[in-house]
Amino acid sequence: MMRTERVRRLPMALSALVALTLAIVPLPDVIDAFRPDFLVLVVFYWSIESPRAGGLTLAFVAGIALDILKGAVLGQHALALTLMAAWATHLRLRLRVFSVLSQSLTIFALLTGYQFILFWIDGATGNPVTSFGRWLAPVIGALVWPALVGTLSRLHER
Amino acid sequence: MVAFRSSDTSARPTGLLLRCILFALLALGLMIFDKRYDHLGKIRRALSIVAYPAQVAVASPFEGWAWLRESLSTREALRADKARLEEELRVAQFRLQRFEALEAETRRLRALRDNTAGVGARFLVGNVMDVDLDAFRERVLVDKGAHDGVYVGQAVLDSGGVFGQVARVGEMTSEVILISDAAHAIPVQDNRNGLRTIAVGTGDVGHIKLPYISTAADIVKGDLLVTSGLGGGFPAGYPVGMVTEVKRDPAQSLADVEVSPAAALDRAQELLFVWPSAGAAPAATLTPATTKPATTPPPPHAGEAAKK
Repeated sequence: MMRTERVRRLPMALSALVALTLAIVPLPDVIDAFRPDFLVLVVFYWSIESPRAGGLTLAFVAGIALDILKGAVLGQHALALTLMAAWATHLRLRLRVFSVLSQSLTIFALLTGYQFILFWIDGATGNPVTSFGRWLAPVIGALVWPALVGTLSRLHER
Repeated sequence: MVAFRSSDTSARPTGLLLRCILFALLALGLMIFDKRYDHLGKIRRALSIVAYPAQVAVASPFEGWAWLRESLSTREALRADKARLEEELRVAQFRLQRFEALEAETRRLRALRDNTAGVGARFLVGNVMDVDLDAFRERVLVDKGAHDGVYVGQAVLDSGGVFGQVARVGEMTSEVILISDAAHAIPVQDNRNGLRTIAVGTGDVGHIKLPYISTAADIVKGDLLVTSGLGGGFPAGYPVGMVTEVKRDPAQSLADVEVSPAAALDRAQELLFVWPSAGAAPAATLTPATTKPATTPPPPHAGEAAKK
């Protein structure tokens, strides 16, 4: 048991790094609003796949990294990611037997919760984002989810 | 297709709730400290050094591509470029001759009014890094930081006019908030008649507005707005934007004034950090009350003008 978990940390860290890069790669303004939250999806994947390997720690660290890179209030993304990753871990046994559609819908709910926490903290700290663009991210994320799970599970199968 | 393959199917990892609460409290604590007490400035600066390689790594392919394109451009293209730049330089120098005389005159006049604040003196050029910050905020990352003496609240210009101000400083990078950000306001003055007001961002690039203009005020389409230098945040006299539309509804007491920014907010690559001149009066002594002319109605919130 211990050994398999140790091995699993490497793909975890690598996929998180790639997702973090994808989160700040510059995109043309038109597509920018449609960028899925790759890092959030990757964190969800690992909290469902192998929560014992440190899914929550990954969520917290990834959140802090997002805070620094995006220049948000320190702890904002960390809080949202931790709470939602814990929820994903809680749901994980049910998620496994879900069909693709139900999985995507659950992920949609998780992503919406994540955006809502961000939105709420933005408001509480006095820089609200008023555009509706941010509510698009959960939809995109849910659409991307099946492909992401396919890629990641194939990657760490090897 | 969608499958989880791990054998880890125990009902719930032990202590999930406990760890979740622990991390959440830690995040909340961080937020409160960051927002309320600003104790984390040093930690944040240290962390920004860690983030710097990642940001450079992301930006470098794009810079590399630009470099490659430039180095592969033909001799003819370079020649054409050189001719154009020389032409531009000649025009600029011609204008500068006049400008220097004017600047001397301005300084003299300002000295007469005991108001030398806000004339920018020292400049530093910074490059916008090709890194995406939040998609829904008007902010850019620039490759100059505390290491180069950049400070929070510093005015940032581009070749067209006022670009924004420094919102956060890292060791090697800084975050600049654009004048079009919804959370940004800048004290301005109508160049035609000296009417003082505040320009507020809308959250939409290339679009700012003047929300505190009364319907009776003398402002028309095409007026140039320049920084007034009040509040001490921005040096005086730099172009901010051009009035593009004035809507006066007789039922309202305030007019709707749209402004298009003078700076190329969505395209600028080189930015100019400005330091106020050494001889200038410190910003704190220049309160709006001492320079307010009796004829102009004071704009609301004049005191918080330079706040972001």
